Amino acid sequence: MPTIVHFRKNCIGCNSCVEHAPEHWKIAGQDGKSDLQGGEKKNEVFVKKIHATEREANERAARDCPVRIIKVFK
Amino acid sequence: MAPAGSYEALQAAINAGAQSIYFGIEQLNMRARAANNFTIEDLRKIVAICKDKNVKAYLTLNTIMYDHDLTLLQTICKAAKEAGVAAVICSDIAAISYARSLGLEVHLSTQTNVTNIEAVKFYALYADVIVLARELTIQQIATICSEIKKQEIKGPGGELVQIEIFVHGALCVAVSGKCYMSLGTYNSSANRGACLQNCRRSYKIIDEETGDELVVDNKYIMSPKDLCTIGFIDKILEAGVSVLKIEGRGRAPEYVDMTVKTYREAVVSYYAGTYTPEKVEHWISELEKVFNRGFWHGGYYLGKKLGEWSGAYGSKATTEKVYLGKVRNYYQKTKVGEFVMEAGTMNVGDEIYIMGPTTGVVQTTVSSLMLNEKTVSVAAKGAVITIPIEEKIRENDQLYKIVERREGVKTA
Repeated sequence: MPTIVHFRKNCIGCNSCVEHAPEHWKIAGQDGKSDLQGGEKKNEVFVKKIHATEREANERAARDCPVRIIKVFK
Repeated sequence: MAPAGSYEALQAAINAGAQSIYFGIEQLNMRARAANNFTIEDLRKIVAICKDKNVKAYLTLNTIMYDHDLTLLQTICKAAKEAGVAAVICSDIAAISYARSLGLEVHLSTQTNVTNIEAVKFYALYADVIVLARELTIQQIATICSEIKKQEIKGPGGELVQIEIFVHGALCVAVSGKCYMSLGTYNSSANRGACLQNCRRSYKIIDEETGDELVVDNKYIMSPKDLCTIGFIDKILEAGVSVLKIEGRGRAPEYVDMTVKTYREAVVSYYAGTYTPEKVEHWISELEKVFNRGFWHGGYYLGKKLGEWSGAYGSKATTEKVYLGKVRNYYQKTKVGEFVMEAGTMNVGDEIYIMGPTTGVVQTTVSSLMLNEKTVSVAAKGAVITIPIEEKIRENDQLYKIVERREGVKTA
């Protein structure tokens, strides 16, 4: 099962991940940073298991993240 | 006005005699991708440190803003007001308007690209200080300054609008804020504080039809040298500029220390009538010791001597710092520092830096070295040594040796 790892602290709120995979990402109104929807906090990062069919969109989100804080593991 | 991208740089700026500093927090500033970005918590601490030293603290809030940033923008402005920052430096109208609604003093960022008196007049409705675009000539700047007086253009504070310009540091290949290279190539927007600076690399020009490569004598075709104005500070002051700003929130503390010290000395010399070409020559060689991409003496300010490209990736500094170890203790009465050597060697006569978040930067020469209560001339990794240090340093401050920089080695 693919897994998304998000190092939220360094997000600069560019909105690219939301554009690519809106069902997984949403900008938080409070601090303007992206939230991994349904992500589980593990120490400094947020982690979420996704279905194989959801991988491609999230890989695009990872590719276009300007601060490289999204990783998708197979 | 000095850049403060870390507590070390902040202290270095204060100790070197800066009258004001600027810093950014969270992601709404032009150095959002910096590893050691400050937070709202830091805001209060930084302002308190500056107030204690009678130095003005300005908060940069100068990225473009999206709708989803507005709550954070408001949170930051409220925190800035509460903490008592002297002003916020803005470019987006949302930031200008909200800051003013709270009664915060606004300074207009260079990202707004103000290049004429009508723009000054417009923004004077909101801003007390305007940072002009870096692409003006000194004559154009002088005209703007004299028109402000003539037309009595006042800011919200009731005083004549003050003009601020960058006097030292990086220049952009594009007019500041008008560059989309990093966004277009890496989706990493300069206007959101995430510039990847790929303009700084070397490039080839190839004719795709023939495969022929053009001969370019400097492949760094998009990387301008750094601005250096130490040689005509007199002209800048005579033009009527009120605030001299040093670029470099991403730079190391020793850069801040050196640039602030040097420009301050130049300004003091000018007012004392002792600003001489000999001094300028000395100041330039001092400035060359810290991070620089080569100097473009004059930048756009001195007219149209263009084509000043860096010719190298990264710094051309003549010196670099090499990590040696940490401070274990400082004996105030005897003015002696105790250090643990963790790398390299130290000799009597070496130039050293000691840096820390409260200390800033202390630069000195090793006058004598003690190891196990015996005088020695050299100490190596593992040794615990003591050195006389005039200025107060602190436990865990870092110790560096200043050495001549080897060609082709990148420095921070």
